[in-house]
Amino acid sequence: MRIPLRRLGVYFVAFLFAIIVNFTLPRLMPGSPVDSMIAQLGPRATPAAIEAIKARFGAVQQPIWLQFVDYLKGLATFDLGVSVKYYPQTVTQVLARSAGWTALLVSCAIIFSLCVGVSLGAVAAWRRGGRFDAFVSPFSVVLIAIPPVIIALATLFTFGVTLRWFPVGYAYNPDLDPGFNLTFLGSVFWHAIMPVLTLSPYMIGEFQTTMRSSMISVLGEDYVTMGRAKGLSETAVMFSYAARNAMLPVLTNLALMLGAVFGGSIVTEIVFNYPGLGLTLFTASVARDYPVIQGQLLLMTLATLGANLLVDIVYGIVDPRIREERA
Amino acid sequence: MRFGLQLLFRQKKAVAGFIIIATLALMAMFAPILAPNDPAARVGRSHQPPTVSHYFGTTKMGRDVYSQFVWGARPSLAVGFATGLAITAIGTVIGLIAGYFGGRIDGTLDLATNAVLVIPNIPLLILLASFAGTVGPLAIMTIIALTSWPWGARMTRAQTMALRNREFITAARMVGEPSWRIIFVEILPNLVPLIGINIVGSIIYAIVAQTTLEYLGFGDPLNVTWGTMLYNAQNSSAIIVGAWWDIGAPALGIALVGLGLALLNFTFDEIANPQLRSGPALSRWLRLTRLRKSELEAAR
Repeated sequence: MRIPLRRLGVYFVAFLFAIIVNFTLPRLMPGSPVDSMIAQLGPRATPAAIEAIKARFGAVQQPIWLQFVDYLKGLATFDLGVSVKYYPQTVTQVLARSAGWTALLVSCAIIFSLCVGVSLGAVAAWRRGGRFDAFVSPFSVVLIAIPPVIIALATLFTFGVTLRWFPVGYAYNPDLDPGFNLTFLGSVFWHAIMPVLTLSPYMIGEFQTTMRSSMISVLGEDYVTMGRAKGLSETAVMFSYAARNAMLPVLTNLALMLGAVFGGSIVTEIVFNYPGLGLTLFTASVARDYPVIQGQLLLMTLATLGANLLVDIVYGIVDPRIREERA
Repeated sequence: MRFGLQLLFRQKKAVAGFIIIATLALMAMFAPILAPNDPAARVGRSHQPPTVSHYFGTTKMGRDVYSQFVWGARPSLAVGFATGLAITAIGTVIGLIAGYFGGRIDGTLDLATNAVLVIPNIPLLILLASFAGTVGPLAIMTIIALTSWPWGARMTRAQTMALRNREFITAARMVGEPSWRIIFVEILPNLVPLIGINIVGSIIYAIVAQTTLEYLGFGDPLNVTWGTMLYNAQNSSAIIVGAWWDIGAPALGIALVGLGLALLNFTFDEIANPQLRSGPALSRWLRLTRLRKSELEAAR
């Protein structure tokens, strides 16, 4: 499976852009962020820590390109600096602790919304103009337009505080010992329900809209007529002939949406006090813990690029036309 | 243009969306008449539920939520709409230039577009905002506009490339019209439906991003907007103590803007792409075909 060089070029430029933003921003700032960070560290500030922060944020007498080379060297060895808030922990340790929870939320939400959104879109396109379509399709567009904050707060208020159906914070019951047993996993599942349901509406709306329009154009294709002519049942034509091919634009959209989904997960984790990357980012931004904020941007950029690459590969496998072109 | 407007107003959804947006805009415009009290003034005790004197109750600080709601509409809508326009303007110009000139210019611009597109926006916004400290409406606008133009640029570029090789463009080039004139006088008018979709979509995006940033506490806390209202309500744990009105009022405002814009956008989409239509005309046609099918089956 070959990915066109051009796509790889795009990912490379995007990653470079994120690195350059990270490198230049603190150096462009009027007041030096270094002083405020050292002040934050207070009595914990050892000479070594101060040196490390100074080097990373450009408060050293060195030509700018040499600083940049040093910065890249650090990145290559996964050295993202030390956290100011959680000193002496490194940024990598802080991020590693929370990345798993975000990955869990985001992947569950993606799978759930893919199933719901794609089916709704396929059925709406199949019964285009019917009552189902007339309600579901505009509703999906509305779902895209409501900020995740609003959905998160409404869910928290209704199901967490008023009805008390679900727990209102943490990723699992803090009384339990983390372990691979049913009680613990059940607790994790129970705590993830509200955040996942909050993340999903935006994606369901996007998938439904994309799926519907792509399905409508596919329904005009000859092979769908062929399927009907063969006397296949409605559902067989709909799912194995039309929907399968109409899925492709949904995949592209999924990769492009991932940035927005991360944005949504940040807000969701804050509202539900869920210990993922978003909550870490929030506490870091309140504490002006710049190394953690920067590491976060790099990590999320990497995750988005990885997902895009994955979609490129899957796309090639699913769509034989692309496979042939490149062979 | 007139035909387009007629088409727009024949759709119930578009009319509903337009009414929602117009009402909110009027409310923002006439804020001094609708809510003559200073939204930052302490008028009652902490977290009072809605009453006749305070329609939407009071905040933790004893401020009138109704006054804040009415006055907060001003910066929220203004920033959302202005940012949406700015995003569209940047995206359209970049898309036009890339699509029209092609070659190396297109290569560079397209690379930049795709690269900015895959960088997660909200984390980037948070990074920029946290280095800038608390940011005023203008800074929020600039930050959002500079990071969110690629969607529009991609759509515009594709459309421009499709138009570039049409006869009337070739003719204009033969006559010796300068490139800028071809782009803005010959091509741009053909992109009006696309720009309409782009504007509404960008406003939606801008409002989501603005709300997120302000909710996270990057807005100016002295500036009453719907986003900072949410932030203040969250900080005073309004949800936990059951003061739903404190969170509900700004949330309702933002949700209504989203609803109105979404209804408009849905209709714009159907106008620009008739294949997607699901209105009365289509259902009449579908009913006819279904009728014929059942007649055929009956005849068999």
